[in-house]
Amino acid sequence: MNARNRRVTTKVVAAHEADAERRHEHRFQVSESVARLVMRTTANNLPLSRDDRPYQWSTTTYCDTVAWSIYRSAQRGSAMQLRIREYHRTRPRQVLGPGTAWIEFKDDEEDTSLKERYGVPMESARSFLRSEPAISDLNHGLAERAGRLLKDGARPVCVTQYNRLAYSSLDSSVRITADHNLMYFALPWETTDEDDPSPLGSLLAMEPDVIVEMKWYSDLPHWAVDLHQYLKENTKEERPSKFIVAMRHLLGENGAARK
Amino acid sequence: MKAVEEAIRSDAPPTRVVVVEDDQASADVLQRRLQANGMVVSVAHDGQRGIALVEELLPDLVLLDVMLPDTDGYDVCLRIKSNSSTAPIPVIFLSARGEVVDKVRGLSCGAADYITKPFQAAELLARIDAVLGQARNPRVPRLVRTVDRSGGARLRARVAIGDSALAGHVERLLGSRFDIADGSEAPDVLIVEGNAPVPADAPEDASVIRVTGGRASDDRPEIVPVDAQLPRIVDLVVREERLDQDLSAAAEALIVLAAAVASHDRPSQGHSERVAARAVQIGRALGLDESTRMTIRLGALLKDVGNARLPAALLAKQGELTPDERAMLERHPILGEELLGGFNRLSGLLPIVRHHHERLDGTGYPDGLRAELIPLEVRIVTVADRFEALLTDRPDRPGVSEAEAVRILQGAVARGELDAAVVAALATQIRSNGGQQP
Repeated sequence: MNARNRRVTTKVVAAHEADAERRHEHRFQVSESVARLVMRTTANNLPLSRDDRPYQWSTTTYCDTVAWSIYRSAQRGSAMQLRIREYHRTRPRQVLGPGTAWIEFKDDEEDTSLKERYGVPMESARSFLRSEPAISDLNHGLAERAGRLLKDGARPVCVTQYNRLAYSSLDSSVRITADHNLMYFALPWETTDEDDPSPLGSLLAMEPDVIVEMKWYSDLPHWAVDLHQYLKENTKEERPSKFIVAMRHLLGENGAARK
Repeated sequence: MKAVEEAIRSDAPPTRVVVVEDDQASADVLQRRLQANGMVVSVAHDGQRGIALVEELLPDLVLLDVMLPDTDGYDVCLRIKSNSSTAPIPVIFLSARGEVVDKVRGLSCGAADYITKPFQAAELLARIDAVLGQARNPRVPRLVRTVDRSGGARLRARVAIGDSALAGHVERLLGSRFDIADGSEAPDVLIVEGNAPVPADAPEDASVIRVTGGRASDDRPEIVPVDAQLPRIVDLVVREERLDQDLSAAAEALIVLAAAVASHDRPSQGHSERVAARAVQIGRALGLDESTRMTIRLGALLKDVGNARLPAALLAKQGELTPDERAMLERHPILGEELLGGFNRLSGLLPIVRHHHERLDGTGYPDGLRAELIPLEVRIVTVADRFEALLTDRPDRPGVSEAEAVRILQGAVARGELDAAVVAALATQIRSNGGQQP
């Protein structure tokens, strides 16, 4: 129960990526065979995303407050997600480990989203989570809203891990991804002084199927309209965000959740 | 085949393999081939039975098909790798799916190898040998985090020997393993010569080692010769004495206080033991080390020791408490901390004793601490305490089933009182045990 005190004292300049405008975002839960067909068609029309190694493990750590204010807002259809993303070749069994962390802010509404993210060393991300001013130029827009959430006590509470296959047009106007092996984990509440990687908590659930996501800015190209229709016809369920699904499992609000 | 030949030659236990393969004919051929090479093979024809077999047998190796009737091999592999008891077991995928993406996906799930069908038996056996060889000779990972083990920290020695040449020699010998204390620092161990008196300012709890510049004597075996073995001997003696002190202090406190509580608090007899056992299980599920689990166990056993200083009539009262009575009852964590505060060796338990009624949202007692100030060990004991209390019949309500108790605790999580991850770990345990019904 010893508190550790390691603090980042110098500010880092973060790699910054942001959506140009709100994007449409639809998610579909489909079988493996449907996903294969969809991704084959996608591969004929879009290049592999330059930023995503195929089937690398994405680990996303989501924050919320003790009163679950982010989750409750998301359930009402509009919320600011605050999350830390890490990428690995093989599945890590701890989160917030050494290396590059992407601090992501995502403003979700019913059908669209706006995302902004900053790549920084993990120690800077941890300082950010403690509301310490460790990152330069992180005091406007979504980041400023996220900062208020942290001051209200938001902390890492749950984690998703999955293998992602991502295709994206060169101008980023269309992005289609397939997430395999999606797993949801609990994460014990952290005390503010902890700076070491956090071991994953219990496995809450595993998705039996593949989650296909389509994101686009204004109009879909013709082939993608057909693909979207095919997905709608073959989906088992149109999905809420991974954050909402994870929180439902965490709080036992998922009904008959598959485990 | 090297592993098999070695096993046969050395009478070592045979390699135990679980094959998860839905095709009966393929499974039979594979089973016979492996058995012919000295392996003990168990077969499951779907993913669920495969996982159950792996958890039951804890084999040396799992051979896993990707396409299974109830799920896919990736799912099975991830479940094996997510369970701490089965995670070290190597998994080899056997699949007709030979695209690069399939292999990448299989290996990224934690498999040790991916072999495409059809395969040659010789290649399969060679790969099995290679994987088993690696599993038996794990290398230390290069990026292991340094673990802060208070039990492994360097101890401080003071050399109180008048002969400066001998004292310098002893300091040089001990310097490799101990920090050498000057006069202002309290030492863990004092080194004195022969029958010389122990310095008057030496701490009472410091170990004393007597040494000689000459040879060891059969008459005085406690006097240690100054040679290359000295650091090892001093280290062993000090650690053994410390362990004895810790254990005896803890045991003495436990016996006295637990008995006092049990005789004073009849209605909850056995409750602390059940809470301690449950809290340790949760701690294990969350991957906490043995020393932390021991702290949790002792803390859970002693968390209500403050009840011993409350009126017996108050503890035995059935029906609603008055505000004054409630305020008095809610002082038991503070009283418990005061009682145990005299035992230095139990200081690590005090946060559990004082804070086990705190809530993450700050509405608990006695200090109204919020989430980030409540240690994980305390949060675990709090959940175990509330869970076990719900299972027990009380004058004002009957006990509920384990599954219902979990649902009630999840409600407390939603209200911001308990740590969601701790309750999730408890829920996973209850679910895997079948969740006792009322």
